[in-house]
Amino acid sequence: MSSTRARPDRRAIALAAALATSTLACSRELPAPIPAASPDDAEPRRGGVLDLATFGDLRALDPANVSDGMAPQILETIFAGLVDYDADGKIQPDIAERWVVEDGGKTFRFFLRPNVRFHDGEEVTADDVKRSVVRALHPSAPNPYSPYYASIVGYADLAAKKTDELVGVEVEGKYVVTFRLTEPDATFLYVLAMLPLRPVCKSAGDRYSDTWHPCGAGPFKLPPDGWQRGHTLTVVRHEGYFRPGLPYLDAVRWTFHQNPSSQTLRFLRGELDVIKDLSAADLLRFQADARWKPFGEYDAERQILGEAMNVRTPPFDNVEIRRAVAKAIDREALQKVRAANLRATNQVVPPGVFGYDPTLEGQRYDYEGALEHMRRAGYPYDPVTKTGGWPHVVPYTVYKMGLQDFTGQVLKQQLERIGIRIELRVVNYPTFIALRGRRDASPFGPGFWMNDYPDAMSFLEPLFHSKSIADEDSSNWSFYSNPRVDELLDQAHRELDDDRRKKLYSEVQRILVDDAPWAFTQNYRFYTQRQAYVRGHRTHPMWVHDLTRTWIDRAAGSVAGRSILSERSFAALLGTSRAAAPARSPREGR
Amino acid sequence: MSTWRGDDRSVSGAAARVSGAASPPVRMRDALLRNTAFRAGLVLVGLLVTLALLGPIVARHDPYTSDFVGGITSENLPVGPSAEYWLGTDRIFRDVFARLATGARISLAIGIAATAIATCVGTVVGVLAGWYEGRALDTVLMRLVDVGLAFPFLLIVMALGAALDRTTATTILLTLGLTGWLGVARMVRAKTLQVRNLDFVVAARALGQSTWRILAKHVLPNVAGPVVVIATLLVAQMILAESVLSYLGAGISPPTPTWGHMLLEGQDYLTAAPWISGAPAAAILVAVLGFNLLGDGLRDVLDPRKT
Repeated sequence: MSSTRARPDRRAIALAAALATSTLACSRELPAPIPAASPDDAEPRRGGVLDLATFGDLRALDPANVSDGMAPQILETIFAGLVDYDADGKIQPDIAERWVVEDGGKTFRFFLRPNVRFHDGEEVTADDVKRSVVRALHPSAPNPYSPYYASIVGYADLAAKKTDELVGVEVEGKYVVTFRLTEPDATFLYVLAMLPLRPVCKSAGDRYSDTWHPCGAGPFKLPPDGWQRGHTLTVVRHEGYFRPGLPYLDAVRWTFHQNPSSQTLRFLRGELDVIKDLSAADLLRFQADARWKPFGEYDAERQILGEAMNVRTPPFDNVEIRRAVAKAIDREALQKVRAANLRATNQVVPPGVFGYDPTLEGQRYDYEGALEHMRRAGYPYDPVTKTGGWPHVVPYTVYKMGLQDFTGQVLKQQLERIGIRIELRVVNYPTFIALRGRRDASPFGPGFWMNDYPDAMSFLEPLFHSKSIADEDSSNWSFYSNPRVDELLDQAHRELDDDRRKKLYSEVQRILVDDAPWAFTQNYRFYTQRQAYVRGHRTHPMWVHDLTRTWIDRAAGSVAGRSILSERSFAALLGTSRAAAPARSPREGR
Repeated sequence: MSTWRGDDRSVSGAAARVSGAASPPVRMRDALLRNTAFRAGLVLVGLLVTLALLGPIVARHDPYTSDFVGGITSENLPVGPSAEYWLGTDRIFRDVFARLATGARISLAIGIAATAIATCVGTVVGVLAGWYEGRALDTVLMRLVDVGLAFPFLLIVMALGAALDRTTATTILLTLGLTGWLGVARMVRAKTLQVRNLDFVVAARALGQSTWRILAKHVLPNVAGPVVVIATLLVAQMILAESVLSYLGAGISPPTPTWGHMLLEGQDYLTAAPWISGAPAAAILVAVLGFNLLGDGLRDVLDPRKT
């Protein structure tokens, strides 16, 4: 009997002991950053391995199958595109050195740089571009982004399996390729800069296959044993990369399934060089420490967080109730739940994205105004007697342990003050996603969206265009349908002039602010902390990091913290020494 | 985590003298109070009950309301323990003490109610199975218990929790109570088998007393001692199980304060605000330790081998 009974005791004691030790072990004071070896104006040096970690994992590594949150930052290092986003999210030349837009925005002609090499040494030609496009858009590829390219002539026939040919993409010479569109598309260059259509080596074949070893023309390549599924992924420098002398790093290594606390400890020991998955409390510690602050950087804000109200279900079929909710939320208070990452906002489009309108009045906290909207809705609430308001409990679907688990609890307090009583229904993430996208399944819940390309269209169309409504997997979570919004968005889609398009976006935003299918509340900003010896590192608005110009400037004696075993196995993988070498041209290196 | 699964050894050897083992109330009380484990358990459980009864009344703040003015530091972190907030504030700046005390009510209520259900069901099933040993009823009930015990307890509870559309205190205590009786049933059956063949029971049968009367008058009082011990230990397990469920997110939905969920909410803040997880961790430790010590003491006194 005693043996069975002892079990809970031991567990409880172990739990308390673990808590006590971890509390004691983690001193409140951070250790100093590991210093750089050279002065600030030193020339970049080649060599070194950049160690990164993530709590996520990766299922596929193919531009035609980008389905994991982790995938883009890794794919970006392996695959170069015709065009890419620069550090400000603007379109810049990549494999294509220039392009011309003709026919009122219906024809895009790209001129490729000569002598751009794939990782297998073959040259990238217009034929490779077309083959890669057809491979990625063919219905046999599990490409979730295919509809983004629907404006290419012939796409519909390819998608409908009527043909294996995509007539809208024409090879007009070894280095010239032309895309013809059915109508002008202001977002075409943006979606082209995304990952799906990036050129892949001939080994990829004409059709998608999940056994293909990734091979592209990006700055890093994946060696044969580079991906230890579920553990690590290592990419090494592509010596034939078309930008001379780049990248500086010998390799970049990601470790998967690392929780934020372990990442922080490993980072402080110098085992990780850059860290992004910081817990809220650790982030505040780094920011409060003057020794660390110079090596921290926020990403461009490109996420909107809010409260999505299903306009088809009560009480949110009543626009006055929605307006009341939008005004009842004290965004400044809500922001403090994760102050280091959240920033209160009043509109759909985040500041880091084209189409953000700083002059828009937007949705604001206005308690009296919210009570007035409740009166107009026919459900007046008296804050003194705490009577009245919407008579039923409104379920608020939220997923476990997410940020919204906490903001939802604050939201509950704030909405009770205007007579709307919500009840948190905590479900797991897949259930949450299924319920949010199913017609009439969930009246209320947190909405959040991150853009696929840095233009307002990447928010407005999927979230509020009526064509984004579906019975299942609807991305228009509030099932909001407004012909005027549809018309303005369609017009903006065809509008190539930036100023005119921005005006259209502002008009759509004004309608959405007033109609309030969402209460727009916060933008989420990621914070990246690096060690002092990581030089030339920049966060990137789409790819998390820009690693092509990053270099390691660590004194030889300061690698003690790293595991010798991993260093050795790494050297074996690379077939090189890890010692930093002076910069040299890629040609010399081969 | 596992629930107590019954163990026939606990009662073996006690059978012959079991009917004479009951001490007069005063002698029993003295024996209990002389027992160190019992006294320590009593103090810990007393502390807990005091926290549950008086805590929410004396707490200076509402357990459900965030304080974005006094409950937050200039760095936007929760404030630590102070005269205003005795145990500091949590991640969304609510009073940890008020939540801990409200959580104590929930934990104790669920622990005791679930134990009551488990003990009642377990005793009825155990007595019936023991009395009708070898018959169809016994076979069916005991195979049911075997099947139930073959599943890890938490797995069943979590599966039930996940299957329910929404979890409330009632669903949690029903889930725990209706899955926790298996071990009790097995133990009570073994005990009933011993009691059934004792002389006074045989005599009662010979005198023509009805089965129900014999069960109520002679069998139940004689299995009561071990059942009380098991029930005390079971309270600790139920409290722990409820905390584990809440910690895993399968328990009562927030913002209702439960110790397990408080533990979860604080884990990202272990370095910056250790009190958020530390307070519920200490409470769980005290509760489990207290009820186990109490059960130990009771067993020492009620177990005739030791008297």
